[in-house]
Amino acid sequence: MGVFADRYPDEAKVVRAALASSFLALLIGGAMGPLQTLHRIDYLRIMPSESYYTVLTLHGVALVILFTIFFLVGFYQWAVTDSLDRPAEDIRFTWLWYGLMSLGALMASLAILGGFTDATDISASVLFTFYAPLEAHWLFYVGLTTFIIGTWLAGADWFRSWWNWKKENKGEKTPLRTFMVLTTMLMWYLATIGVASAVLFFLLPWSLGIVDSVNPLLTRTLFWYFGHPVVYFWLLPVYMIWYVILPQIAGGRLFSDALARIVFVLFLVLSVPVGIHHQYLDPGIAEGFKFLSASNTMFLLLPSLLTAFTVVASIEHGARQRGGEGYFRWLTVLPWRNPAFTGMALAGLMFAAAGFSGMVNAGMNLNYLVHNTMWVPGHFHLTVGTAVALTIMAVTYWFLPRITGNPIFSMRLGLVQVLTWFVGMVLMSNAMHRVGVGGEPRRTADPFYDFEFEGVIGSIGELHLQIGLGALILTLSLVLFFIHLIFSWFGISSTTKITSEAAIRKPLSGKEHAPAVLENFRLWVAIAAVLIVLVYTIPIASIIVDGGLFGPDVAPVRPDHAPLFGLSGLSLSTEWLVAGAAGAVGAIAAIAGVLR
Amino acid sequence: MATEQPAADHTDDIQREIGHDEYNPVGTLALVFIYFVIVSMLWIFVYFVEFLGRISPMVVF
Ligand code: HEM
Ligand SMILES: [Cu+2]
Repeated sequence: MGVFADRYPDEAKVVRAALASSFLALLIGGAMGPLQTLHRIDYLRIMPSESYYTVLTLHGVALVILFTIFFLVGFYQWAVTDSLDRPAEDIRFTWLWYGLMSLGALMASLAILGGFTDATDISASVLFTFYAPLEAHWLFYVGLTTFIIGTWLAGADWFRSWWNWKKENKGEKTPLRTFMVLTTMLMWYLATIGVASAVLFFLLPWSLGIVDSVNPLLTRTLFWYFGHPVVYFWLLPVYMIWYVILPQIAGGRLFSDALARIVFVLFLVLSVPVGIHHQYLDPGIAEGFKFLSASNTMFLLLPSLLTAFTVVASIEHGARQRGGEGYFRWLTVLPWRNPAFTGMALAGLMFAAAGFSGMVNAGMNLNYLVHNTMWVPGHFHLTVGTAVALTIMAVTYWFLPRITGNPIFSMRLGLVQVLTWFVGMVLMSNAMHRVGVGGEPRRTADPFYDFEFEGVIGSIGELHLQIGLGALILTLSLVLFFIHLIFSWFGISSTTKITSEAAIRKPLSGKEHAPAVLENFRLWVAIAAVLIVLVYTIPIASIIVDGGLFGPDVAPVRPDHAPLFGLSGLSLSTEWLVAGAAGAVGAIAAIAGVLR
Repeated sequence: MATEQPAADHTDDIQREIGHDEYNPVGTLALVFIYFVIVSMLWIFVYFVEFLGRISPMVVF
């Protein structure tokens, strides 16, 4: 079969553009990494501490909003076009959403960069969570909104392709990759309601001076309504890579198509009604609802554990087809010299470790121990910073030839690159976890108040050394990645052309065995909506009742202990009646959706 | 002069085809079991860090 770049040259161009934006964001955000690390451990200070939040905002926004999501749209465009085997419906529309996303990214980035100079009053040093009362220039909020509208249109583009494909292929099951794209986007539509309403109704009018106060707990809760599912927006393309591409590289076949679909449906249903697990320490949300979110979160472990099983079983299948034997000896016949394989395998290994620190974060009592300490960045540099980032880097060693038609510059360089990322992150993340348990706070340029502890092995100074060393090794890995990227992308120093590619091998248990109900998207969205209504209506209503839609009386939000489910303080005021009625209408609408 | 080449995919390394019914993922079972043991041990360890730590720090990292 011809290579993707030749079969779909117009779509390949969009894919390349999106990947270029993604990697540019990786470059900019990644460059901030060593800067802030060496600053906060007091090894090298080339900026004033006042700039720390500007740097950290750039790091957070560039890496977890721009790098990840630009990659997602590029990769998903490939997945839809390749698996439906049909061109984009209207390539101008495809360019439109890419253009909107780029414009939005540019606006938000300029707003952040404005924080470095006094020449303009534009700034957005609000970190990627933009909690009120931290306020950004309106350009930042408008930029984010434009970017997100771009992603909405991208989803619409893929749905349109799918609808048209269905018309021509009546009764056929949706190909796996397109199924994954559609479930991800449905989750995204549900999730972005939160951030869109926080920005459009509150933060943007506030930054424009139309309203002069916001209720910080409300905008924060709306942020985390979006903030947890966004982690699955980073992760689901990576899951697609692990399900579809990793077995391919290992010489095997996906273990079960149905299981893969079930996992994506579970994410659609369970991703959103858990956001409150980021707010265990927020006063003003009743313990009972925190508990509900905690238990929903534990359910979310299920699809990740299913993934671990399916992916490892698919790799093992590859190893056995390559002649592997025994309980563990099969591991040795895997293609460890291929950076795409090794990078993804190491990324998966780190994700397994992150599963443990994630269980600690998710536990209501344990969270109190690690909340807002360096443990938390330690955790998510394993998840988004490695499981996602390293998989994205690793997959380029497989993906680039397909979308550029040029071979990889050097597989050996690639192997060194993925290994250095792994080593650097083991050092940095492990030490971050440990200083975090010791109580060192995150998000500060100067974590050095009177504060010293003796570890079992090593002092705080030695842990900082590990963090600094890890950061430098990671930076080296990034440099190697960009050397590979530039040489491979443009085919520098190579006269070879990649002209054909193997088709993705069929799963062992194919889509004919997947239950038809999995394609009933309406049902899954409705169930997700019911859960969201159950988990969020009363907490949001009580936040509004307590603090008002726009504050300003926000300081004394339930200073005492918050009663279970907020029910003990319940008096039948009109606000509660309105809130209750709104919840009931939502629930009825959602149930009606299930039944139809 | 440009040479042409297929994208690397390791399809050639396959020595035998193993179908759905002949395949038993025992290696996966072994790995999952090891992971389970590690996580359980870590979980027990957390007990010393969190709960006993309140009385007197038993384990400081
Ligand atoms: C060279 C590699 C990297 C280094 C040295 C690095 C270092 C750090 C450090 C030390 C912090 C904590 C700063 C603080 O709380 O005061 C941090 C925060 C963060 N990092 Fe990284 N990082 C790297 C790569 C990445 C990657 C690849 C991602 C994601 C794809 C990422 C995402 C984040 C996020 C989201 C934060 C939190 C920002 C916030 O608190 O607002 N980092 N990074
Ligand atoms: Cu979360």
